[in-house]
Amino acid sequence: MRGFLLALTAAWACAAGAQELKPWTGGATPALVLQDLEGRSHSLESYRGKVVLINFWATWCEPCREEMPSIDRLRKSLDGRPFVVLAVNLAEPPSRIRGYLQKVPLGFSVLLDRDTAVAKAFKARILPATFIVGPDGKIRYSYVGELDWSQEKVHRTIAALLPP
Amino acid sequence: MSRRAFLKLSAAAAAGALPWRSVSATPDWHTYDVATKVTILKPQGASRAWIPLPLLDDTDWHRAIGNTWSGNAAKVQVHTDGKYGVSMLFAEWKEGEQAPVVEVTSRFMTRDRMVDFSRPNANVPRLSAADYAFYTSATELIPTDGIVRETARDIVKGQRTDVDKARAIYEWIVENTFRDPKTRGCGWGDIKTMLETKNFGGKCGDLNAMFVGLSRASGIPARDVYGLRVAPSIHGYRSLGVGAPVITKAQHCRAEFYAQGFGWVPVDPADVRKVVLEEPPGNLPVEDAKVEAARKRLFGGWEMNWLAYNMAHDVVLPGAGVKAPKLPYLMYINGETGGERLDQLEPDAFRYEIRTSGVKA
Repeated sequence: MRGFLLALTAAWACAAGAQELKPWTGGATPALVLQDLEGRSHSLESYRGKVVLINFWATWCEPCREEMPSIDRLRKSLDGRPFVVLAVNLAEPPSRIRGYLQKVPLGFSVLLDRDTAVAKAFKARILPATFIVGPDGKIRYSYVGELDWSQEKVHRTIAALLPP
Repeated sequence: MSRRAFLKLSAAAAAGALPWRSVSATPDWHTYDVATKVTILKPQGASRAWIPLPLLDDTDWHRAIGNTWSGNAAKVQVHTDGKYGVSMLFAEWKEGEQAPVVEVTSRFMTRDRMVDFSRPNANVPRLSAADYAFYTSATELIPTDGIVRETARDIVKGQRTDVDKARAIYEWIVENTFRDPKTRGCGWGDIKTMLETKNFGGKCGDLNAMFVGLSRASGIPARDVYGLRVAPSIHGYRSLGVGAPVITKAQHCRAEFYAQGFGWVPVDPADVRKVVLEEPPGNLPVEDAKVEAARKRLFGGWEMNWLAYNMAHDVVLPGAGVKAPKLPYLMYINGETGGERLDQLEPDAFRYEIRTSGVKA
């Protein structure tokens, strides 16, 4: 059951990580339709034409918490561009997520994967797991583990996907 | 035990008690009471709790005697699954109950287990074909194909009997894994990910699930047994027992494999790694005499200072009102309130305390 995932330790992530996004070779992009904390429905399909960063995370996952602020810095750096962040939380109580967001305010939507079906579809078996979806709705890159999303190289890679 | 449809048997009962049943036993049996109190701290709407109860099946090492309960739940039911030995108390409170509480006391008996591998017994019942298939099949987190099967094949290469193969797997786990104190709870046992990432750190839910998966992938029937430590170790291992009456965080799971001539054989490689990490002064080398003794004893033996709950995987909680993933196992207390499933490991909206009679206050 994928609601019960491994969280990558920072050490493992660094060892594994060249800190570069991995070009996607994993096949078709799964569907994603989930509600956010306010009950609004989000469909990946509805973001066609934009670059979407999908981050699977949980509040108990230390590397997830560590990298969240850098995702928000990336979002701010691309403000006004067709770029969206969807943070998909794995089966945690909304009250706990709200508690975390009070301490760490984030400028993007947190979606609730209550039964972890979407994480399973994305084969997100280790947290954090992040997928970059291009304007055509297809996954272009992925990264498993903690990453500094505000670093220049990552910014360049994602900006290159943005439509003119 | 025959395997029937999940939750086919559901004995409804008013809040109160089932009588202790009368059980005769020899002096090597020990009787324990374990009391579990669950409180929903911030009730909103209907609230629910699920509390694991002692293993239903009578064995020559564990017998459930009975359960009593009290509290203010509007509905209390004992659910069994007829499949994995699961018995659980389901309590439900209606909206408006200001202080939902339920307290369950379970009485059970245990006796130490030790298999003598030099004396196979031809009279040990063989597993039925259905049980053999059941205990060699995959679960959601314990696949038996791919990297699990490949790893198992390498480990058991050259081993002839099921006992030899199981021992090779046991030794491989002791040699290659480690107890990671940062693992949440007892670990969820995602063995495929552990093998793929070569991240072999974990706790009993990971390391003993690894034993079960590698055994099943080798064609050896195996199963996890989930439970709770209830008394100190009489063998002098501080890390393998409890030292205080409150045992709220003493959950521990073990494993068994089936071998012809011996029946179900107890093992616990995870506890060998616990001795390595935690037995004073800590971080013992595997060559340490304490580790070597535990390593020898825990292949074929369990000290039964421990309550067995069940062998369940991929558990769906009966009566749940919240969409949530299946549980990899049922060893912790689960709850719901305000339309949310409560985190069984870090309960911030409910509180539970488990006390044992196995340690005097």
